[in-house]
Amino acid sequence: MNYAVVLAPNFALQALRRSEAALANKPFAIVEGEGRNARVTEASEHAIGVEPGLAVTLAMSRCPGLLIRPRDPNAESEVMRVLLAAAFTLAPRVELTAEGCCTVNLQGADPIQTEKQMHACVAELARAGVGARLGAGANPLLAAYAARCAEPVLLVSNPAAFLAPLPLSFAEPSSVHADVLRGWGIKTLGQLTTLPKTEIGERLGTEGAQLWERAAGETIRVLRLIEPVRTFAADWVYEPPVESLEPLLFRMRRFAERVALELRGAGRVADNLALTLQLEDDTDHHREFRLPEPGANVDGWMRVLQAHLDTVKTEARVTGVRLVATPARPPERQDGLFDTALRDPVAFWENLARLAAIVGDDRVGTPVLLDTWQPDAVALTKPVNAVPAPEDDSIHPPRGLTFRRFRPAWPADVAIVDARPHAVEAVELHGIVRVARGPFHLSSTWWKSGAAWALEIWHVELASGATYQLSRTADGWCVEGVLD
Amino acid sequence: MPSSPTTVAALRSLLATRFPERARAAVGAVPTEIRALDEALGGGLPGGRFTEIVSASPGTGGQTIIAQLLRATRRARQRMALIDGADGFAPEDVPPDHLRHLVWVRGRGAADAFSAADILLRDGNYSVVVLDVRGLSERALLKTPTTTWHRLRHATEAGAIAVLVLSTTPIVPAVPWRLVLRETVPLGARRTLRSALADAFSVEIVRGHTDAEKKSA
Repeated sequence: MNYAVVLAPNFALQALRRSEAALANKPFAIVEGEGRNARVTEASEHAIGVEPGLAVTLAMSRCPGLLIRPRDPNAESEVMRVLLAAAFTLAPRVELTAEGCCTVNLQGADPIQTEKQMHACVAELARAGVGARLGAGANPLLAAYAARCAEPVLLVSNPAAFLAPLPLSFAEPSSVHADVLRGWGIKTLGQLTTLPKTEIGERLGTEGAQLWERAAGETIRVLRLIEPVRTFAADWVYEPPVESLEPLLFRMRRFAERVALELRGAGRVADNLALTLQLEDDTDHHREFRLPEPGANVDGWMRVLQAHLDTVKTEARVTGVRLVATPARPPERQDGLFDTALRDPVAFWENLARLAAIVGDDRVGTPVLLDTWQPDAVALTKPVNAVPAPEDDSIHPPRGLTFRRFRPAWPADVAIVDARPHAVEAVELHGIVRVARGPFHLSSTWWKSGAAWALEIWHVELASGATYQLSRTADGWCVEGVLD
Repeated sequence: MPSSPTTVAALRSLLATRFPERARAAVGAVPTEIRALDEALGGGLPGGRFTEIVSASPGTGGQTIIAQLLRATRRARQRMALIDGADGFAPEDVPPDHLRHLVWVRGRGAADAFSAADILLRDGNYSVVVLDVRGLSERALLKTPTTTWHRLRHATEAGAIAVLVLSTTPIVPAVPWRLVLRETVPLGARRTLRSALADAFSVEIVRGHTDAEKKSA
């Protein structure tokens, strides 16, 4: 098994069905030509009685409710990219052989592992909305024959036995040769290859000898390899523009599936997604999502994107979308024996991404104190997969009630008597100070012009019994929070 | 069809037959390391249940309960999430090591807080989720549809997460446990060890009983 072929049968039909949700489980046909010359070229399995070559009017009379569509080059190009991305998950040497068909050079690959990968590849394509067949054989031709017969994966280990019952049409004889061979009573490849190749060559010429070689599966050719993609992006336009979420998400998922496949094929994951909605009024809505756990899981991406889009209201309809994934290396880690590991890492990271889509990337995470005395200097960082074992209790354990901060602080008027706060007046707070402790002075970065700061902190217990923290700066007093 | 219930025990038994999911016992408990709370709750915050603590006025210790819970869950090697509705948590007043297992969601209002809770209560990676709605508009909270709470309660009961709601007025309908903190701690206690201060909290049980009490009834 040196080669594999990934084949999407009924390529144009599949492409249309994948790009248009309304075509699912409906009879539809692809037509070419205009007016009276319009003819059906392909018909879906639900279009009963409709065959290629039928006039459109006749097809519609045979199958009431038949939907007529022209070929969609954009949708076909997208499916082709999906097929290529899936092929690159098998091996890096891939040829774009024909519409809906690509060939992979598997030389050097582990056969057992490759078979598993081929099944995974078919499943991956099915999830991406593309029905595919995979065949593998000793040369590209055998692999192509195998793909045509596969349900959905077929590996040819005994070429002679595999080829013998196949109909002659597999070897694509010219119409003249087909007639001659039919006259000789030859209907299968096996029957043709039982005849000597030289005798066939003498009677049918060079083309006849080549036909015999194709029937014997002996044709060798060199693949024209293509380069894997280096940018992981998708953009598409909506014609007509959309104004609801459902059609937006349907196509977004399709494109995300392709981008995710391309990432997997390149051995990468995404650590950032950038979404741009192009609007009818020529403006853009742009948003970047930092994925807490880099990955190429489309369901996870879609949950993040949908959580954000649920909250978005645009001034105009959406005419186009661009989705860009920033590639990163897959995370590798080894946890410690006493670490607190995650029970369900996938759910953990997906939920964090959904939370970030609701409250903002910068408002969810594990808090880390910054190396400064400046109040409220804290950064939110990505939670760790495994929390290390707890440290011993500090030799200076915390004392008193815990501070609860008002964000933003409440501006206040503070009456001073004997250099101490005597009464506090703020929008949500007023009272006479019963006990005051302070002042506690804080200042830093006085050596940097424009960055210097200085604070005077007081703890005041009001008549209600609650203790508040006041601060005084050059701008005046404010209530920073309460000890609770 | 069972006969008409004549005692509270019979009524409970009938309800347990009709609504088995409601009769499911709490899944373990998460100790808070606050004596009064753990005693009142029969060992700690019950897993798979809501517990509401009403901090009637500022200075009664609601924030200290969060700090102590961070300490307790860190020691027990569990993960904790804090949905901070009004963004009042001050990490600088908690030892840095007690923050390493925390996921802090800084909300911007009740809608954010409830959306975040809807996600986190279904995530089995957490042992405790604290929904702190103090500082949010009481009027907005009281207008929260009962269906929202019902949905959150269902999510909680399906898992093992202990959910603590901190509020300034009772807001959780049909909550299994509601405790009230009424006593304000004076400024004079500022030098007392926080753990000792927390142990001295007095909590009033307004609603609730342990599963053991339920059975004995």
